[in-house]
Amino acid sequence: MFDINWRGLLLPLAYLVVLVGTFVTFSRVYRKRKAIESANLAPWFGPHLQRNIYLSLLHLEPEEGSEKAPKIPDSVIRAALLRRAVEDIRRIIQIRTAKQACSSLLQRGSVGDDLWQRFQRAEKEMEEELRDVVMEANGLLPGWGQIIFQSANEIAANKVLRDRLDEVEAQTANDKEWWEKRRASVKSGFMKELDEEESGKGQAKAGSEDEPVLVDTNTPSATPSGKKSKK
Amino acid sequence: MSTDYAYDEEGYLWPFFVFTLTLIITVPLTFLLVKRSRDPAASFTRIQTNFKHAHVDTIDSLRKQEKRKDRKLWLIIGVATGWAIMGYMLYLIQTTEAPVHKLWNPYDILNIPESATEKQIKSTYRKLSLRLHPDKAKIDPSKNETLEDLNSRYVEISKAYQALTDEDVRNNYIQYGNPDGKQGYSINIALPKVIVSDGNGKYVVLLYSVLFGVLLPYLVGSWWYGTLRRSKEGVLMESANRMFREYKDTIDEGGVVTAASTGKEYEELFKGDKADSGLAKLESRILAEGELSPLAGGLSVKDKEKLEDLESGPQRKALALLWAYLGRVELDDADLNKAKFAVAPIAHSLNKAFNAIALAYMNTGPLLASYYASQLLIQALPPKSSPLLQLPYFTPAVVKAVEGDSRVHTSIQGFMDRPDAKRRSLVVGKKLLTEEQYRDAVGVAKQLPFLRVAKAYFKVTGERFIIPSSLVTLVVKGRFVPPGSETVPEINPTDLEDVDPAEDDLDAISGRKTTKLVGKDEKTGKPIYESVEAELIAAPLAAAPYFARDHSPRWHVFLTDSKQGRVAVPPFTFAQFDRPIFEADGKTPTFAMQTLKAQFQAPPQAGHYTFVMHVVCDSYVGFDTKMEVTLIVEEASKAAEMEVEDEISEPEEDSIAGIMNAAKGGEPKKRKQPKPKEEEEDSDEESGTDDEDDDDTSATNTDTEAED
Repeated sequence: MFDINWRGLLLPLAYLVVLVGTFVTFSRVYRKRKAIESANLAPWFGPHLQRNIYLSLLHLEPEEGSEKAPKIPDSVIRAALLRRAVEDIRRIIQIRTAKQACSSLLQRGSVGDDLWQRFQRAEKEMEEELRDVVMEANGLLPGWGQIIFQSANEIAANKVLRDRLDEVEAQTANDKEWWEKRRASVKSGFMKELDEEESGKGQAKAGSEDEPVLVDTNTPSATPSGKKSKK
Repeated sequence: MSTDYAYDEEGYLWPFFVFTLTLIITVPLTFLLVKRSRDPAASFTRIQTNFKHAHVDTIDSLRKQEKRKDRKLWLIIGVATGWAIMGYMLYLIQTTEAPVHKLWNPYDILNIPESATEKQIKSTYRKLSLRLHPDKAKIDPSKNETLEDLNSRYVEISKAYQALTDEDVRNNYIQYGNPDGKQGYSINIALPKVIVSDGNGKYVVLLYSVLFGVLLPYLVGSWWYGTLRRSKEGVLMESANRMFREYKDTIDEGGVVTAASTGKEYEELFKGDKADSGLAKLESRILAEGELSPLAGGLSVKDKEKLEDLESGPQRKALALLWAYLGRVELDDADLNKAKFAVAPIAHSLNKAFNAIALAYMNTGPLLASYYASQLLIQALPPKSSPLLQLPYFTPAVVKAVEGDSRVHTSIQGFMDRPDAKRRSLVVGKKLLTEEQYRDAVGVAKQLPFLRVAKAYFKVTGERFIIPSSLVTLVVKGRFVPPGSETVPEINPTDLEDVDPAEDDLDAISGRKTTKLVGKDEKTGKPIYESVEAELIAAPLAAAPYFARDHSPRWHVFLTDSKQGRVAVPPFTFAQFDRPIFEADGKTPTFAMQTLKAQFQAPPQAGHYTFVMHVVCDSYVGFDTKMEVTLIVEEASKAAEMEVEDEISEPEEDSIAGIMNAAKGGEPKKRKQPKPKEEEEDSDEESGTDDEDDDDTSATNTDTEAED
């Protein structure tokens, strides 16, 4: 019926094959790369030390020679779980505060897409983690799951406060030393002034000229020190 | 009638086509090239000084390198080829002769003048036909004639004759220029025939497929991935991501520097063994005991721990170099010193990205830390060091001589406000400054643009009250008073007012024009303003001898909530001002009142809102202003009341409102004196300025509060 000129059709067919082939290869390579990329994303948080401690306490291997694993006191396991919850609280706070900033930055194009992916993954992970902690807590002590995070929150807040206090207190020795030195220098200055006053009035004037300079250096400084204390 | 598309066989059209095409591409490229090669910093004024430190050459070479990087080779090549092609095309156009299409003219064919009468025409035709009729005429072999030639010649002659005598043919000739009637016209395509001639087709297809199948996807792809690679702030996206991870609510300037060192830019700068070369020496230098700070690099114990926790690699080297730069530590190695000055501008650009991140969190502390870090990076000062080190020739020894063992630093303003003799006695001396150096340093200090805020208040354009959710303008009035200025004129109270532009003055409303005080109305004493074309003036380039870039200083104005430590109104940035800062000589300050305006939306509830206003300069340490401002938002009903009293209360008698008012039995109200209540008040300035300054600002503040 139809006399098909196969030879003439060869060229368009080859064109179609090349076209479709290119698209297929491109999309396959692109997707594979994307998948590898997202699989290799670094986790948002580092290793969860507290969780590892808790889990290793829970699944302690029996020592060589003995049949049974050593018995861990309940209080130790509970303390380990509480520590784990405290770390979770720290992480969850970090995620909550970062979420809005991260999404607004992403919209503006100030941070990259992969950061957002990592962030979302961390968020999901933390949800699972919280659920797991609640279940573990209920398993150890029925009803504890409802309040474990409250206590963990208190502990975390306390720790933050304590860290700040320690930081301030670490300064004391330094400051004390400086004040001692300062007091000594001011004292010696005064003594010198007194001596000079005794020795003669004319010289006393020259000596006292240095003093206002010292006072002067301090007056404009009220602000920087105020700023420091606010930080 | 036939239309016939022909390719450009004679080759006289396509040069035009190519010329136009190249012109369209080359001219914008040339413009781009010229614009780029002009030095943008040349239009800015500079702070005049003779100061040269030991590494001026290194800094200059880095600056030049940066400029060279800006110039793109492909652009130069593209423009050059473009002009070359255009030149060649012009040459072709000049030399190629276009084929001449003669107009068909019957008079010429018959060889008679156009004024010939019909008789003459007829006689000429008869003569010619006698002579040239194919039956009569003989083929002249010497002229290489054929019978056809003779025929056609005779046909032409008879056609010409007919055109001049026959009515129809004549009409044809007049209308179409040809006795045969309308002719088919030809369209020439300005492409050389070579393109379509047999055998070349495959090359054309190849070129086409390379153009659209390879080059176009490549360009689009490289553009798209290029935009993905860099964040909005112009740093690598990976760096921005890392810095986001480094953000902490309690971060300080040192922390910002550490965060900046995570930038991927440094990995590219310190590739391979560059990452570790000289690291040990570098670290021993910056961790040695410093003159002013416990460590020479000026880093705190916390920063030192952070540095030591890092794995050795590009980041550790970058961080160590940054501290060496900030502490102005001499490294005694040309390569290391060069790297030291090269890392700072990168950190400065990374800090911009960090600034955006801090702003997204809306916490005051990190945002300020980011601005302070910018100041430190530009001035090469470690955190919490003396601002006096910004002055040329000021070494730690000089600073020590000024500050003694005081823990709080003397600001440049504080230092310069002392009498000259006292300053001199402190810093001029053996191992300190020479007389000449002192004069140069004081000269530089007197050119530094310190924005002294005179007044800050809120207003809504065209309204007396600020009602909830209205668009509030924060107006900051201030003068550039360089430290140590001796004859600072009093503030003119009229300068502090912000007059709304007339409602019909669109240019002024949109900010294209500013108002200028032209005089005072003699009767009312009200100032008269005239709108003038706004001419924006930038501050002189930052006096930053160690920073390997030219930087134009910027001022950021933002409001924070001091109780929550959060940013209430995000920063507005000002790099240009409406009045000149210095006279034409670039040294004498004008003390002109500058107006900075920032618009934001008022809170939805009425009440008093106390904000802390920060005015932060990003280039100089210790030039920041921090003051409390109160925003008073009135109930919307109150504003409406005022409006009723004001606007509608005086209906004219013949107006409808007047009649309505009379019908209600209301007496025409007397216009009430509007309550002279300012919408704002500002109080105690907390900036680190001297007492005198505080006095004069607070005096103006109370002035505005006073009820008149």
